[in-house]
Amino acid sequence: MDLTELSIVSIKTLLIYVAFIQVVPVMIWVERKGAALIQDRPGPNRVGPFGVFQPIADALKFLFKEDPVPKEVNRLLYNLGPFLILLPSSLIIAAIPVGDRVELFGRDILLQVADIDVALLFFLSISSLGVYGILFGGWASNNKYSLLGAMRSSSQVISYEIPIALSAANAVMFYGTFSLRQMVMQQEGVLLGFLPNWGIWFQPIGFLVLFVALFAETNRLPFDLPESEAELVGGYHTEYGSMKFAAFFMAEYINLATASALLVTLFFGGWHVPWLSDSWLLLKLGSQNVVALVQVAMFLAKISVLLCIFVWVRWTVPRFRFDQLMHLAWGNLIPLGLANIIVTAILLYFFEGR
Amino acid sequence: MEAFLPIGILFLFAVMLCAGIYVLTNLLGPRIFQKNKLSTYECGVQNPLFETNARLPFKFRFYLVAVIFLLFDVEGAFFLPWALVYRESLQLGANLLIAMLVFSVFIILGLIYVFQNNYLNVD
Amino acid sequence: MREVFFMIFSIFTVLAALGVVVSRHAIFSAFSLVLAFFGLAILYLLWGTSFVSMLQILIYTGAIVVLFVFVVMLLDLKKEETLDSAKTGPLVMAGLSVWFFSLLILRALNRATYFKSTNVEAASDIKSISTLLFSKYLWGFEILSVFLLALIVSACVLARAEYMERKADQ
Repeated sequence: MDLTELSIVSIKTLLIYVAFIQVVPVMIWVERKGAALIQDRPGPNRVGPFGVFQPIADALKFLFKEDPVPKEVNRLLYNLGPFLILLPSSLIIAAIPVGDRVELFGRDILLQVADIDVALLFFLSISSLGVYGILFGGWASNNKYSLLGAMRSSSQVISYEIPIALSAANAVMFYGTFSLRQMVMQQEGVLLGFLPNWGIWFQPIGFLVLFVALFAETNRLPFDLPESEAELVGGYHTEYGSMKFAAFFMAEYINLATASALLVTLFFGGWHVPWLSDSWLLLKLGSQNVVALVQVAMFLAKISVLLCIFVWVRWTVPRFRFDQLMHLAWGNLIPLGLANIIVTAILLYFFEGR
Repeated sequence: MEAFLPIGILFLFAVMLCAGIYVLTNLLGPRIFQKNKLSTYECGVQNPLFETNARLPFKFRFYLVAVIFLLFDVEGAFFLPWALVYRESLQLGANLLIAMLVFSVFIILGLIYVFQNNYLNVD
Repeated sequence: MREVFFMIFSIFTVLAALGVVVSRHAIFSAFSLVLAFFGLAILYLLWGTSFVSMLQILIYTGAIVVLFVFVVMLLDLKKEETLDSAKTGPLVMAGLSVWFFSLLILRALNRATYFKSTNVEAASDIKSISTLLFSKYLWGFEILSVFLLALIVSACVLARAEYMERKADQ
């Protein structure tokens, strides 16, 4: 890899990473305004028009607060907690295809940080590393409540990883590849004349399983038990102050963004415009770069819809109890995922076998 | 393997972000020493015991969840390569379908066993 | 370029593995184990087997070490006390380790004939591994599912026996 290629890759990586991090301030505002809308109150409306600068105020507040470190904590692991939770969240961004190609400087640049052929497996593996931030952060705080919250949260996260793997297996079975980019390429155009050629029509139950499991993976309500304010004070991040505390929330929002991106990529056509095919767009718009802009905008729009649904569900549904949560994972989602795979396999055999 | 290099670059950027967070916190936050701040959070207990480690009694439920998760994770990891070659292999007959059905039977037996004896709930 | 990366990550993995053994507190050992497995996964990447690398992270780092960490946290293992010098256990272990290590070195130098590799088909990319798994090694695949079932049952039974014992003690 020569220097120009390396610099192009670095700049592309930095741009995509920064773009995903921007989800955090946007989601802070959307969450609070959405909560306010659902709860029939105004929400943040002082800092800027409609409170749009609220996230900046929040960030500044976090930056300038004191960071009290209790005496009895395990220094190394306590400081590593935010690192351990931000790193997997950031690494997952690498597998997500944001758009098709851009033709700049005489090269074809794929709008994806790394176009690897095991992208979905990479997503599964790195998201299973997210447990460690919770575990070590909670344990190192040397606090009963933090530890209990950490154990419950990590039990929850690992229980819901298996439905994600099963749903991913379902998607892989259907698309025949692990590469997320290939999966998106197969969802182009129109199906049966009037539906956009999306994955969800073919795998509705896979979508359902993945959707519910992703709620639990990202610790969102109704699977909010680890962060439940009334029960465990703060759960595994009780003892963290200022930016380290903010790091946990940044990681949660970035996880949310990547989870939405995964759902969009697998089931909603990725960066394709719903009924139009790429070649038609290229014909109408002329330049590949403009088409790429349209595609990225489409991707962002789809992710935004999903994020709004996440916020909507959070402020509508009450929280699950821990045993209800476990029963949902092991008793409902895993059998449903397994049954889904078996039924899909049998159906595929009848439609395509010999 | 070259395709993974951007991931390394992303990793470096992520580490820089985390390090930046730490540096900013240390630079910008005030440091006011108060004795109470040194103690961890304890509801209602005035003077927490500094010398003990605040740890939990052993809860088997968490241990069992971890073990059962491990086994089902391995099983899920077996579904992934199966799913990759399944659709193509249908041209050659129902071999993979039967293979997976047999595999699932044992996994479902395991799941039924765990549920019948209520291992995940009460203990 | 690849050799430089390989060297760096090999040293990283070996240091992490050393960290597992050397740490006083069990939880630092678990954390070093995470680092060691991660380094190993990157080494697999450098060898070109991306599938095995991802599976290494998914299963080893994502499940097995999580189990270790759970156990360490639940058991509240204290800091290790220093070992007595007059114990036979550590000496036997040291001897065994030296023996295994020398076997490895000799095999690497092609002098030892203890471990001869059997006729295994080579496959590195994910499609080949998958096709091989379901054509040539299909029996192994099915036996593995029975094995997993046996593991589930045994783990549950052992844990429950231990739980009953502990409850009886209290």
